[in-house]
Formats: sequence, structure tokens, C-alpha cells
Amino acid sequence: MNTLSLGMHIMKERLTAGRMMVIWPLLAMFILFSSWGLSDPKVNLPASIVIDSAYDVMFVATAFIIFSATLGAVLIAFDGISRDRLSGVLEIKLSQPIARSKFARALLLGHWGAIFIPVMVLNIASILVIWYRLDDLPSTEEVFIHTLGTGLLLLWYTSIQLIASSWAKDLGASIAVGLGVWMVFTLLWLVLTTVVAGLSGVGVDDLNSAEYIQIDAIMDLFSPNGVYHHLLEIPLDDVDRGMSPLYVCIAAILWSIVPVYLFTRRIERLHP
Amino acid sequence: METTETMESILSLANVSWRHQVRDFSTWKPWAKRDGAGIHSINLKINSGTIIGLVGPNGAGKTTLMRAICGLYECDGFNKSAETRRACIGYMPEQVRWEGRITVSQAITSISLMRNSTTDVENLIRTVGLSSKSNQLLDNLSQGMRQRLSLACALIGSPKMIVMDEPLNGLDPLAQRAFSNLLKNLAKKGVAIVISSHQVGDLESLVDEVALLHRGQLLINGTLEEIRKSLNLDDDSGIVEMICSATGIEPHDISLDLSDDGMLPFRPLGGEEE
Repeated sequence: MNTLSLGMHIMKERLTAGRMMVIWPLLAMFILFSSWGLSDPKVNLPASIVIDSAYDVMFVATAFIIFSATLGAVLIAFDGISRDRLSGVLEIKLSQPIARSKFARALLLGHWGAIFIPVMVLNIASILVIWYRLDDLPSTEEVFIHTLGTGLLLLWYTSIQLIASSWAKDLGASIAVGLGVWMVFTLLWLVLTTVVAGLSGVGVDDLNSAEYIQIDAIMDLFSPNGVYHHLLEIPLDDVDRGMSPLYVCIAAILWSIVPVYLFTRRIERLHP
Repeated sequence: METTETMESILSLANVSWRHQVRDFSTWKPWAKRDGAGIHSINLKINSGTIIGLVGPNGAGKTTLMRAICGLYECDGFNKSAETRRACIGYMPEQVRWEGRITVSQAITSISLMRNSTTDVENLIRTVGLSSKSNQLLDNLSQGMRQRLSLACALIGSPKMIVMDEPLNGLDPLAQRAFSNLLKNLAKKGVAIVISSHQVGDLESLVDEVALLHRGQLLINGTLEEIRKSLNLDDDSGIVEMICSATGIEPHDISLDLSDDGMLPFRPLGGEEE
């Protein structure tokens, strides 16, 4: 019970932090404006992307969620432990009788909730925007998968950032690790995929070739953003990259378990 | 004060040792670590209602010993597990810089959730003299107020024992007096208190017993009278004289030079380094 209460307490603290004055407008601009623009019936997208339903808009708009919400998770969690360590508050917290594993779960819940709630509020608002513009609503199943995927994506980034925050001896090191991981998965993964494809003998001059798409789908399992896209592709009939939903689910479960386990172990062994 | 025979033992330490792991950087093993400073074979008995002063030069191991007592390090030799110790000990670390956009009462509530305690937060805030700051943001507190907040956190859940690292730092003289009175009252109620302070004048009037640490070892412990007798010191000699006598440092030869191993931050001038 105190894990939940403590988690809610941390979440409230994070939601009222000064940095939310920056994160809220950024999220609003990325999520709402992308939904508004992409749901324009006259929109003309590159790479022959066709939008003909509310879920199509939500799917394409996730590119903006990946860019903004994951950065938000990094910005919220980068000092989740390192700031307390520097100020000495961590010493007080670690000397309390709460089990370290429960403390770790409360930290995760608090920091994850502080980014998940704003993103979900804006996602609901974006569904209303799409409804207004396209006169179409996503199905319950589509909303469920979108919400689940977004929640998991934010959990993965939050747990990775909290691990970095627990390792770092100062705030700069913590945010450097967090931003580094974010850049690798968000900006550099395509380059890495291309390199792996090239080394595997797959031609990289045609990114729409069947071989490249297969390599791309496999590489995506090793990236949180990629697994997120795999999950969101499940309800789409016209997208098939040859990846079994079973593998996608296994990757999602592993991405959920491994960083959380590592973070819990880290907190259990943490010294002030 | 109760006699030693009638007092209940809250905690006993038998050969408690702990070494910090310090980075031992090399090109091929950048993650390598080696044993650093720490505490060695500490034997100590802490009774209810007793105020024990931990004294010793910088780097003697006072903070390490306090952290070990509070269950922050996994070390053997205690008669209670780390979990049990954490449940019955309130800890006030040195110079905590509370900050953030939460109020004083929210900060105390957060810590009381971690103790699973139903402490009356307002009463606790009144006890440490923060009533007027109850709804003030942590960012706006002075260091003295932050010290009081740390004290409030140590008192959550009415612990049987309180461990305090330099609690008098940052407090004004009146607050220091009030603080000493509060500690004496807590001791009268049977709470064991372990306190370290470099303000030895205040400590002499406050403590029942002294434990003298040097280079991670407990050199001597007992009442001030017992230690004076053991070290053949005059009746008016204080803690500084005790430290000098026990460590072999001459009071007029004290310098601030650090030794290479970092464990003895001052050494006698002109004398041989220990």
C-alpha cells in the first residue's frame, strides 16, 4: 500500500516541478498539432503514406510522441536519484525501513506517471481533434493498443533514465547518459539499421526492398521505439513487415522486465 | 540518568568492519575498484536513554560508522538486521540540502510513508519549531530550517534510537540550546542517541558517553570521567585533550596537512607521520 502512496506522492511532486512548464507546451505542440495537421483531409504525406481512418492518424502521429514524450521522460527522471544523492536527501530515504524493491517500484511509478498522465491527457485531446477533423473515431481495441504501447514506451525510457540517474554522481552525467540513449534510439537507430543491413549483404540503396524491411523489423525489436511501432502495427491490416506478433510481445515483455529488474537491483545495492 | 545495569541495550556492535570501494582506474580495467578507508573491528554497546558522542578527527570514520549503524551498508557484527535497525533508528545526516517545489509538511509526509508511520505531521513540525514554515516550499528554506526538517524526519515514528551527524551545524545559538534540551528530553524518555559534532564544547555538556574514533578504529569509549582516568588526564580536560592524548597528537602541533592515504587528515608537525 505504501508503495502506491509513495509513488503517487513522487508523481505529484514531479507533476508540480518547474520543468513541467516547458514539458507541457512541448508535448501539446507535438501531439495536438501533429494530430491536427495529419487529420487534414487534404494532407499529402511522403512515402505514399495514406491516411483514411482515425487510427491511421494516431499511428503516424506516434512519430511525434516518440520524439517528444520520450524526451519528456528523460527530462523528468534524469535527477530522480542523482539530485537526492547530491543534496543528501537520498541518505535519509535509504535509511527508512521501506524495502528497497518497494522504494524502486515507487520511484518508477512516480516518474512514469508524471510523464504518462500529460501524454494521455493530450492523446485524448488529440482523439477529439481527429474526430472533429475526420468525423471518425478509433475503435476501443485501437485505443487500448495505442495506450498500452505508449505506457510501455514511457516505462522503458523512465526505467533506463532512472538507472542512469542512480549511476551518475552528478546531474550532468545523468542527463548525458539519458540523452545519449534517447539519441541512439530516436535519431541514430536508422543509421545503425542501415549499417547492419549493409554488413549483412542487403542493399541499402532501396529502403523499400523486402530484405531491408525484414532487417529493419528485426532491428526494431532491439529498440524501444521499434517495439512500440511493432505493437502499434498489430491492428493495421495494410502494414506487414513479416514480424510475428508473438515475437513483438516477447520483445515488449523483455523490454518491460529487464530495465525494471536492473533498476530494482541497483536500488537494492545503492549506497548514498 | 539510569544506571548502566538497568538500561536496556538497544544495539550492540561486535567487530563491525566496512571498507569503502574506491575507483582504481587503469587503462585495461576502468571499472576496477579497491578497498578504501572505512571502519575496523568496532565494538560498541548502545543503551536506551544514553547520549553517545562520536568524536575524532576528520576522516576518522564517524559518518561511516553512523551509516553502518543505520543500515545503509551491509556489514556483519550487529545484533539486529539492517531492516530491523532501519525500522527502529531515526537518522539525521550532515547538512542535508532539502530542495524542490514541495512544502515542508509534504516532505515529512513523504518520509513518513517510507516508514509506514501514522505520525502527526503538524505536531512533529511544531516540535522542531517549523510551524510557521509548514506550507513553505523547500527551495525557500534557510540552512537552519533545513536542519530542523532533517531532525523532524529523524523523529518520525518515535524511533528507539536517533543517529545524528553534525546536527548543530547551521543552527543559531538559541536553536542549538533548544536542540540540546530536546535531545536530553528524548534521552530521559529512553531514546538512545548517537551524535557526532565538531562543536565539542556543546557536546561535553550534552553527552553521557564518548566514543573516540581514529583511522577507522574505536580507540576508547566510556563516560568522560572514565576516559579521563584511562588516559591519565586532568579533571578539567575536555574532548580535544582526549583526542590528542588517545591519538598521540600534540595540541600545539596540529596542522591541516593531509596524509597520502587520506585516513589521517592531520598529523603532528615535525613528528613522524602515523
